[in-house]
Amino acid sequence: MNFLTTFAETAEANQDIFTALGIDLRLLILQIVAFLILVWLLGKYVYPWLMKSVDERQKNIEEAAKAAKHAQESAEQSEAATAELLAQARKEAAEIVSTAKLEATEMVTSSEAKAKAVAEKIVADAHAQTQKDIDKARRELHDETLALISLTTEKVVRSTHDKKADEAMIADMLKGAQ
Amino acid sequence: MARKLSRRDLAKYASHQLAEGVSLETVARHLAAYLIESRRTNELNIIVRDVADELTATGRVAGTVTSAHQLSSATLKEIEQFVQAKTGAAHLSLDPIVDESVLGGIKLELPGLEMDTTIARTLTILKTRYKKA
Repeated sequence: MNFLTTFAETAEANQDIFTALGIDLRLLILQIVAFLILVWLLGKYVYPWLMKSVDERQKNIEEAAKAAKHAQESAEQSEAATAELLAQARKEAAEIVSTAKLEATEMVTSSEAKAKAVAEKIVADAHAQTQKDIDKARRELHDETLALISLTTEKVVRSTHDKKADEAMIADMLKGAQ
Repeated sequence: MARKLSRRDLAKYASHQLAEGVSLETVARHLAAYLIESRRTNELNIIVRDVADELTATGRVAGTVTSAHQLSSATLKEIEQFVQAKTGAAHLSLDPIVDESVLGGIKLELPGLEMDTTIARTLTILKTRYKKA
C-alpha cells in the first residue's frame, strides 16, 4: 500500500498528457495490474471450477435429455409392443373362443352319438333279454307239459294196465325182441 | 395166516362148488366167512359179479326179472326161453321180483346183460330225451 501511495505521489510530480486528459496514469496502471491479478486469480481458481461445474451440469443435462429421449423411445416401443401384444391377445382370445365353441359343438355331437349308442344298446339288450325270457318260458312250458304227460300216463297206466294186459304186453315184447 | 386169494380164484371156487351141487347157502357162508376173516367185505359186490360171470362162462346163468305184477308160470317160461336163446345158457336161474313202480313190462338183469322194457323206463325216456332245459 505504501508502494502504491509512493508511486502515486511520483506520478503527480510529472505532469503529462494523461494529466491533461484527466487520467491518473498511476491509478490506471494500478487498476490494470489489479485487473490482471483479478483475471489471473479468476483464471487460476474460479473459471476452472466454474467451467467444470458447467460442463458437469451440461453433461448431466445432456444425459438426462438422452435418458428422457431413451425413456420416450422405450415408452413408444412399449406402447407399440403393448398394442401388438393386445392385438395378439385379442386374436388368440378369439381363436380360443372359436376353438372352444368348436370343441363344445363336437362334445355335444359326441355326447349325442354316445347317448344314442347307449340307448340302442339298452333297447337291444332289453330285446335280447325278452327273447331269452320267452325262450326260457317256452322250454319250461315244454318240460312241464312233458312232465304232465308222463304223470298222466303213469296214472292212466296204473288204473288200466292190469296183470292180464301186462302179460300180453310182455309176450308181444318177447316176440318182437326175438 | 392163509395166503390172500385173488377175486378170480374166489369166483372160480364158488362157481365150481355151485356146479358140483353144493347149496347156495353153504357156498355163501364159506365165502362170507373168508371175506370177513381176510377183511375184504368191501369187495363183496365185485366178487358176486365175478361169480356170476364165471357161472355164465360155464353155461350157468343166474339173474333177476322185475315186473309190476306177479308173473304167471307160462310168462316166466317164455322169458326163460328168450334168455336161453339170447345167452345160450345150459342152466338158467331167474329170480322174479315184483316192483309196482315199473308200471308194466319187465326188466331183465343178467351177468353182462340188462334189458329194460318197462313202462316206467319209457316214461323216463320221454321226460329226459325230449327235455329242452
